[in-house]
Amino acid sequence: MSDFNNRSQTSTRRSDYVWQYEYYDDEEPVSFEGLKAHRYSIVIGFWVGLAVFVIFMFFVLTLLTKTGAPHQENPDSAEKRHPPSSCLVDIHAPQDENDKAFCRPLLTESRSYFHFYINEEDQRQGKQKPEDESLGKHKWARAQQRTRGTSSSGMDEMEEDVEEAEGHQPLRGQMEESKADRECSFFSQFNIPNFVNLEQSSTLGEDDLLYEPSVVQECQSHSQDAHRDIH
Amino acid sequence: DDASSKFSYQALRETRQDSRRPTITPQHGGKTTNQLTMNATTANQSDCLEVKVPVSLFFIIGVVSLAENMLVVVAVIRNRNLHSPMYCFICSLAAFNTIASLTKTWENLMIVFANVGQLEKKGFSEKNLDDVMDSLLCMSFMGSIFSFLAIAVDRYITIFHALRYHNIMTMQRTKAVLGVIWISCGVSAVLMVRFFDSKLIMICFVVFFVVSLAIICFLYIYMFMLARIHARKIAALSTSGRGKCRRQRWWGSSMRGSLTLTILFGVFVVCWTPFFLHLIIIMVCPMNPYCECYRSLFQLHVVLLMSHALIDPAIYAFRSAELRHTFRKMLLCSDWNWCS
Repeated sequence: MSDFNNRSQTSTRRSDYVWQYEYYDDEEPVSFEGLKAHRYSIVIGFWVGLAVFVIFMFFVLTLLTKTGAPHQENPDSAEKRHPPSSCLVDIHAPQDENDKAFCRPLLTESRSYFHFYINEEDQRQGKQKPEDESLGKHKWARAQQRTRGTSSSGMDEMEEDVEEAEGHQPLRGQMEESKADRECSFFSQFNIPNFVNLEQSSTLGEDDLLYEPSVVQECQSHSQDAHRDIH
Repeated sequence: DDASSKFSYQALRETRQDSRRPTITPQHGGKTTNQLTMNATTANQSDCLEVKVPVSLFFIIGVVSLAENMLVVVAVIRNRNLHSPMYCFICSLAAFNTIASLTKTWENLMIVFANVGQLEKKGFSEKNLDDVMDSLLCMSFMGSIFSFLAIAVDRYITIFHALRYHNIMTMQRTKAVLGVIWISCGVSAVLMVRFFDSKLIMICFVVFFVVSLAIICFLYIYMFMLARIHARKIAALSTSGRGKCRRQRWWGSSMRGSLTLTILFGVFVVCWTPFFLHLIIIMVCPMNPYCECYRSLFQLHVVLLMSHALIDPAIYAFRSAELRHTFRKMLLCSDWNWCS
């Protein structure tokens, strides 16, 4: 670089022009003198902010659970809201220690979901509507197949409970063959597809799952019907 | 000089790359002054030297995440039980992570070769290759964000439209959504790398990230709140006999729910935000010394980004029993018929 300068100097001795390099930006370069705060302050501030955000989110979520504490003051009103059916009748019966989830209605839409199930059961018991039945069974079976096979985060604990309860029923490749068996476990478990994968294993773990023996017996009889319907 | 910054991320790392230009200026008094100084990045004796991550760490992270994600992709493809919309989205996420890991590992290889002297850094083909790799990386980044969004929407539809889920989320629609995601990511990646100089592209990138983050956050927290209310209703139906024990166990399970969601969202935020803050800082304050110190940690932020591809399968894919079962079958059983 100095060669350039010399060369230019010799060649333009007469002129007053000289090659030189200038900074593209005429502002002073980044200097680290006179910094008021620590030079890594942005880095530290960013990471502290991020940690605070994550912890804050965790505490907000935990607080949401605390405000949602179960209270036993209105079991009657709850019962009135949900008309008694074969599902709810046995809930107040003495339960086993290892309970499995049974009825788990979600809000308004889940209530209709719930009643759909009850209506399906009634229809199956009384009138024979093969179309709805097979459709319902299909939906439930596929839903169960989804819950058994397609859950993701958080579902594994629930599934392991169910597997232990059923004696490690192996997962088969053929959907149709295992549908009835899955329906059985499904009815004993009453899962909503994929709902479990986010929270169920954690919110409604083995502790909160209620086992419904009467409906399981129903389901076993109905799974045979389903077999006949599907095949 | 730093090879990785020369080879790629050039525009990101060095904002004052060619800050010198030749000029002819009148020299008064015949005196010559040598105004030449050294390269801009080293002239100011920056105290915040760039933190360098050893290439071997990049290699390890790249290879491990590549293996994991390829395992997920192959398992989802091979097992017919897993041909459902949700697993398709998880598979797409794993495929994008695979591309990212592959590209990053390949880039590391090229950097090693370039340092050894096998490759010419400024060659035409190397620059083209560099552009190709940058577009692939960009595509995989955007694709994985889109996949997270798709997974969150899928879970949302599952919970809120449970009855109509199978009508809303058919396999045809899933395939269409995935096709749209892949094509749009590919096109945007090519455009972004081509027109990387304009600030508009970077602004779009950052805005896209922030919007996706907000949507994912909203969806998950809404689902979580609904799950709370739902669990409360369930618990309210239970008998009051074992109330106290039940309440304590309810706390425990609820804590686990909060933890799950915090991990899911927290890992995403922790891994992705530093890189995007880097992009924002480049646009906003290139000259600020504080910003300079933040930008010196660029390689660490890239390591975080790569480690997200490593952690993703653990959060999304490995928590499914069916998928784990498939892995065990694939890895431990050489003969398919032996393991039932």
